[in-house]
Amino acid sequence: MVLRADYKTDLWVDWCPGCGDFGILAAIQKALSELKPKPWQVAIVSGIGCSGKTPHFIYSNGIHTLHGRSIPFATGIKLSNPDLMVIINGGDGDLLGIGAGHFVALGRRNLDITVIIHDNQVYGLTKGQASPTLQAGMKTKALPEPNIQDAINPIALALTSGYTFVARAFAMDIDHLEEVIKRAIQHKGATVIDVLQPCVTYNDIYTTQWYRKRIYRLEEEKGWNPIVERPEERYEKLGNALSKAWEWGERIPVGVFYEDRTKDTITDRIAQRIPSYYNKPPSRQAIERYGKPLLDDAKFREIFASYLVKVEK
Amino acid sequence: MDEKSSEMRILLGGPQGTGLETASQILAAAYAIGGYRVYSMREYFSNIKGRHSYIGLRVNPEKQPLAPIEGPHIVAGIDAETIFTHFTEAIQDTIIIYDTRVFKTKLRSIASMEKYFRDRVRETLEKSNYDTTVEGALRYASEELGAKSIGLDYQAILNDFSQEIGISKYQAQRYLNTILVATIANITGLSLDELKRGFKRRFGSKVEIIEDNMKLSAMVYKSTAGLKDKIKISTPHHSPDEYLVVNGNEVVAMGKIVGGLRFQSYYPITPASDESFMLETHENLENYVDKSGGIVVLQTEDEIAAISAAIGSALTGARSATATSGPGFDLMVEALGWAGINEVPVVITYYQRGGPSTGLPTRGGQQDLFSALFSSHGEFPRIVISSGDHEEAFYDAITAINWAEKYQTPVIHILDKFLANTTITLELPHLEKIAIERGDLLQAPPPNYKRFKKNGSPIAPRVVLGAENAVIWYAGDEHDEEGHIIEDPINRLEMHELRMKKLEIAHQEIPQEERAVLYGSGEDFLLVGWGSTKGVALEAIELLKREGYKGAYLHLRVFEPFPKEYVAKILSRYKPEKIIAVESNYESMAAKVITMNTGFIFKKHILKWTGRPIYVKELSLATLRILEGLSSREVLSYGA
Repeated sequence: MVLRADYKTDLWVDWCPGCGDFGILAAIQKALSELKPKPWQVAIVSGIGCSGKTPHFIYSNGIHTLHGRSIPFATGIKLSNPDLMVIINGGDGDLLGIGAGHFVALGRRNLDITVIIHDNQVYGLTKGQASPTLQAGMKTKALPEPNIQDAINPIALALTSGYTFVARAFAMDIDHLEEVIKRAIQHKGATVIDVLQPCVTYNDIYTTQWYRKRIYRLEEEKGWNPIVERPEERYEKLGNALSKAWEWGERIPVGVFYEDRTKDTITDRIAQRIPSYYNKPPSRQAIERYGKPLLDDAKFREIFASYLVKVEK
Repeated sequence: MDEKSSEMRILLGGPQGTGLETASQILAAAYAIGGYRVYSMREYFSNIKGRHSYIGLRVNPEKQPLAPIEGPHIVAGIDAETIFTHFTEAIQDTIIIYDTRVFKTKLRSIASMEKYFRDRVRETLEKSNYDTTVEGALRYASEELGAKSIGLDYQAILNDFSQEIGISKYQAQRYLNTILVATIANITGLSLDELKRGFKRRFGSKVEIIEDNMKLSAMVYKSTAGLKDKIKISTPHHSPDEYLVVNGNEVVAMGKIVGGLRFQSYYPITPASDESFMLETHENLENYVDKSGGIVVLQTEDEIAAISAAIGSALTGARSATATSGPGFDLMVEALGWAGINEVPVVITYYQRGGPSTGLPTRGGQQDLFSALFSSHGEFPRIVISSGDHEEAFYDAITAINWAEKYQTPVIHILDKFLANTTITLELPHLEKIAIERGDLLQAPPPNYKRFKKNGSPIAPRVVLGAENAVIWYAGDEHDEEGHIIEDPINRLEMHELRMKKLEIAHQEIPQEERAVLYGSGEDFLLVGWGSTKGVALEAIELLKREGYKGAYLHLRVFEPFPKEYVAKILSRYKPEKIIAVESNYESMAAKVITMNTGFIFKKHILKWTGRPIYVKELSLATLRILEGLSSREVLSYGA
């Protein structure tokens, strides 16, 4: 098979010209070009909406799933083949609205998956309804009336759900986004990148220019160190990250809010119970011998001994 | 049409949380060790502690019972509610064991009893001029039905016991169920040694518990000495050397383990979760089987996640499944369609309970056939298998994963609560007869591999996600050969047809007489059913032989692809008015599926939707009424 250094497919990318998704796609492809996984070692998983099409444009395995369900699909993929590099692309509505329960659950599991939230505050493909990250009182172009529901804070939700790497980036700042994506992929555990992006067609408030005026990088802040090297630092760093999470308006931080390098993942916990897990995960096990089960009658008796009753005549 | 019994039937009742299940396990084990075949069904409320639950045991020296039957030989109650709930089920010579301290208890004081049931009990007693007390109920059972009552002072026995072994009266309450166990054991002729085998079986290495239970049992044997051997059946002559003692959940888990399942995701729901627990208990398969790794069992945040994770896992090549019941399945159907369009081999084990909505969450039914067959929008192939007993359930669990991989499509394996929660003695399966069929699964992709290749068999060669040198796309949208989104009309025409054609291939390949099985050859009538109707139908046919009617039973095993030619052929042998659909639903769903597939319209139905299983005698009587032209549709309602 052909290897493609740029991880691009030949398909025409059918997003609106100027869409923030282009920046996210480019940043993922650049990150992959530097990390150089084989295309079959990567699984790009997505939900529904404009961002859902991302896997088709990346030359690696792509699984375009159901609205809101990219996380559980990816969970099954990763648990059965932990060697795959699994990256989720989902919209803000997909991951934080219809799929919010799964978003929280992934944090609890700290499974080694990277979640990229395409956060543009609107539902694009259904023509501009408010997404769960749109602040109350805002009236983006397509809304008949201002939004009357409060916004979710993706950073705060991720932090309190247990994600061990939580970051924010801006889709139009591709180099920075690429760096964050690389760090997220290399982090062992559940990672979230909330990517702020314009929707050129439906969001006339949070435009590229609006963001450019406000965004600043956390890593340039004096004394900012989000990395947990020892478990006892966890709550202090979480507290710092949470305070930063609420900063919005005139100044909007991007960069890494929190990175806990001390917490084990759910696959580590599985491996504690099933010692062969990493060597023989579900996807890489023999289950038959010449078309017959691995178990024979004797093994069956041994395994299910507690269900066996010997008749004493 | 009562018959002289050659078996023992025992009903054990009491509040949930008082160890009834343990009691039945001890007795079942003791009888099974003695070579008897045991059947033990369980009815319970959606409640943790306090509401009435009961267990129906059948013990047979020769034949495996597979259905509940009316007329217990023993009714043993922990409390007054058991007596009030079951005294009308007594027959001639039934022995009712009760606690003398509840003898004067009034019906109206039983707070845990549901009002409608209590009202019906009151009417029954008052109509025949009996007091609405336990005493009145026992007198009714004795005078109207011919039962005998045996009162024991449970607390006095426990007091003596607590003094003997030096525990508090409060601690002794945990042994209440042992009083019933020992009384029943003594009445049915088990020696103390034989009973001890049951305790050992249940408590294993916990020697102290076994000894304490034996002390209490000896005391009970002494105080019930006059009852020894009151009911005794012949010793078994043809029992195998060993049995499995398993319920439906357990036997499916065993099938999945043998069948190579390596991933199961689930969300807790009655009556399905126990299967996942059993898989998790056996996750360390590597300890037993060379080459094998473990089984990953994941409790998810909801059923949508459960099926989605199972599908994701299946893409990587691991045999994957989820297990659920109606409400959970409802949440899964969107993802079911995704598995359909993406040709994913995933298995959904579907334990039916009483619906709709939460319905009767701990009771049974067969109301979800349409749901299993028709749920999820759009058209896609699915295979639907239904198990009628534990043995079928074991093999079907394996067949389900085989067919899922062979035909690259989701498989729904339907069972029901009656099977899930019924424990039986089962002869060991023969594993050498089992095949593991993975279908057209390639270890490595050929050059220019395309997952959904069009110009070949409708079942395109499958390469798993993560296989070296293979890049694969999957999408919920209609896709091209590579898996990319495409809305082209001609591609749609071809892809859709290729997917649907897989069912035709399955229809040609799987023998029809395995998808519908005819039992018996009686020409007078034909019962038609599915799932746990099998056991009760076969026994009813036996019973009806004595009334001079020779019948047969057509058992539906696979609803998709439906064995239409074979079923039509069998049906054509009988006059339409002699063909009776027997189902635990209102609509007679299976009959309608047969109509859809064969054009045959059923004229006769026997239906039950109380959430309780169909009993042998009520089915026999209903069949008789239909055969004698008295009725076309019989609705059954036996059972508390």
